Order: sequence, then C-alpha cells, then structure tokens
Amino acid sequence: MNPELSRHVMAIASDIFNVPLAALSLTSSPETVERWDSVQHLSFVLALEEAFHIEVSPENIEQIRNLGDAVTLVQAKTGAGR
Amino acid sequence: MSIVIQPYERHHEDAVRAFNARLRAAGIGPDLVFYEQTHPEWLEPTCNSPLYNQYFVAVENGDVRGAYALKYERFHLRESGDYRVACYHHPLSEGIIDRRYSSVGGLMLRDALAREPMLYALGMGGDDRPLPKMLKVIGWPLASIPFYFHVVRPFRFLREMNVLRQSPLRCLLMDFSAFTGMGWLAISALQTAKRITTRIDKTIESATVDEFPASVEALWHSAKNEYAMTSVRDYDTLARLYPGEAKHLTRLCITRNASLIGWAVVGERRPSRKFGALRVGSIVDCWARPDDTLPVIHAAKECLIQQDMDLIVTNQSHTSWCEALSHSGFLTTASSFVFAPSRQHSATLKGDVSQFHITRANGDGLPRNF
Repeated sequence: MNPELSRHVMAIASDIFNVPLAALSLTSSPETVERWDSVQHLSFVLALEEAFHIEVSPENIEQIRNLGDAVTLVQAKTGAGR
Repeated sequence: MSIVIQPYERHHEDAVRAFNARLRAAGIGPDLVFYEQTHPEWLEPTCNSPLYNQYFVAVENGDVRGAYALKYERFHLRESGDYRVACYHHPLSEGIIDRRYSSVGGLMLRDALAREPMLYALGMGGDDRPLPKMLKVIGWPLASIPFYFHVVRPFRFLREMNVLRQSPLRCLLMDFSAFTGMGWLAISALQTAKRITTRIDKTIESATVDEFPASVEALWHSAKNEYAMTSVRDYDTLARLYPGEAKHLTRLCITRNASLIGWAVVGERRPSRKFGALRVGSIVDCWARPDDTLPVIHAAKECLIQQDMDLIVTNQSHTSWCEALSHSGFLTTASSFVFAPSRQHSATLKGDVSQFHITRANGDGLPRNF
C-alpha cells in the first residue's frame, strides 16, 4: 500500500467523520466510527473523488467497507500503488 | 457480496417483507417500511400515462437491503415547455439499522440519478433530516416551501396541538390561554390583522364537483406560463390524481360569470400525534392565474370550515398564493416541507421557489397524508 496515499485518505476520513487521525486505522469502518453513517459515507466518497480526481462507480461505493478498502480503491483508480 | 439495484418484482416481495420486519424490530418507527406489493396502488404504471410510480430494491444475495420509489411525471417550464421529471421518494436503507450497509443510501440515490437525471425530492420533514443532508452533500439545492395555517377553533387548537405542548410549562400556558379566552383573542387578533376585508365579488361562485370538468384544460393552458415552473395540471393529470372514486378529497371549481377561473382540492389529513385530536383540513392543491388566487383560497378555506375542521394548513410556494393566504387570515411559521431538485434539474430552473407553483399535491404526500 502506498503510505503517502494512505495518509491522504485517512486525513480525508478524519475531516469528514470528525475523528482525530490518531483514532483511525485501515480497519476503521461504519461499525467502529460513530459518525460514519449513510450521509457521511456519501460525503467521504465525494471527497475522495474530488481529492484524487477519480470517479467512483456504484459498485465501488458499496465496496468501501472500511478505510483500507478506500485506500485500495483510490490506488487502483490512480495507479499510485504501482 | 455485491448489491444490485433493480426494479421491484413479485419474487422480491418476501424479501421486502423480511426487510420491513427487520426495520420494525429495530423500532425506528411504524411508518418507515417499504411497500409490500410490487404494483403501486397509487399511480400504477399504465401504457398511456406519463404519471406513474415505480419501485426499486437493492438486493444482496436475495436479501433486500434497501428500496426506493420514483414518481414519474411532467413539469412545465415557462421558458421551454413540458418535460419529464421523477420524484425520488420513500428511500429506505438497511444502513439505518446496520452500519455495515451505510453505503446503500448513496447507492440508491446514484442509481435513481442514472435512471432519471431530472429528479426532485419534496417534503422530507425538514432540512436537518438524513435524506436532505445527503442531497445537500451531492449538490442539490434545498428550499423550504412556506407553511400556512388558519386556526378555526382556537380553544381546541390550544388544548390539542401536541407539537406546541412539549413541556409541562407549555401545557400549562396553553391551557391557561384556552380556558381564559386569552388564547382565542390573541389568535383571532393575529388572523384578523393579516386579513384584508375583501368582499368576494358577487360574480364569483364556488361549487363542489365529483370530477373536474373539461374546462380545466383551457385554464391550465391559460395560466401555465404565469409560473416559472409548475407540475402539469391539465385535465388528464387531474383525472389521474383526483379520480371520482377518491371520495376523501373535495374538488372545488371557482367561476366568475360562469367561466372557470380556478380550482382547488381540499381534504382532511390523517390523524397524527402532532395534531392530537384536532381535525386538520388541508388545501392540498390549487390552480388559477396569479390574479385569481384570492377567490380560490377563500373558497377552499370556507369549504374546510363547513367540513368542521379545527385547523387548516397548506404549503404553497408561489408569491401569489402566499399573498392570497395572508390576505385570507392565514398565519405562517417554520416549514419542514423542503424542495430539492437534482443538479441537472436545478440547472434548468430559472428563479426561485417563490416563482414556482409547488403544493402538497406534489411529491408523494397524497396517499400518505390523506
């Protein structure tokens, strides 16, 4: 996993979910982050799209089940993992 | 496991019932369940009407994890004529009760947009609820549609209006106002201060009809471009929305010198905890040229008073209708009736809601509230 990209995704998540960065990990998910509800999930997806200039398909939206999935998705879309 | 959103079909019915059972078991509210029949009872698709409902379900391995509805209809823009839109309504997601499905709400919204980019949502209980918040996140503008009310029986209003009796102190104050007559005086003074003492022209008459007459078609065409945007209210649409067998609604035709100048649909709202034991009448829908709104509002109000309502309510967006309500002694307060067009839809709209004609009949409120 690209460490810089991971940090960027986590920073976006910290901002959207209003959680300190230190409290997040790649396994953080809607089940563990209180403010990660439907509305914030969509906000998170839109923020990723804007930050990385990518387009997230409906299938991708559903695949993001934790922050690790988000990082994996962004890497795949940007080719930054290579 | 992936979620697929598809039209609701008969083989989904058991899964929808199971979905509803999970929602009920979580105690989120008895009304927050999806339709258990595939074919809409209200506005079922027919081969020749542009006005119909269609339901969709989000399915994961045979289980329903969400559902939503689209009410397809036609709107009219002054600038460019009629066009197709859909009202996004009744979205329900398992994410409400199981965080693992937090993505379903957004998935359904994007699916709806892919099916029909010209969408709107209406009502929603206020802009601080989850759906309008989600719409705002994706860039839909939100606008409140003004709410108006007229208290017919102040004593009963003060005693029964539960939403105002939220604390022991408030209950005490409202009971005091009711029993001393002070509340009656205050309400009457407010409503009278706003009312213009207008003698309704003797050439104007109002009549109840079982079905709207063919002359509503000409009235539609003569008035439609007086509004920057409105939903189509031609004869065929009215026949579909307010068929003769819908006896719970009253149709009024208002004429001047025997020529139709406007119409209104009024009805009693279903009982709700918010209104206690009050009988609440609503001006559901209406149509006229902006210059003729006052006699239409007057007729609608008088009809509901004759039907023994304690309180009359309505939501109207256009300035002319709002002014007519004010001049008829209606008061206004905070509205939770929100209009949100999708970004593509919003880009076509010129002006703001005060130039559009949006009423309680728009959206999905007709069968839900009456």
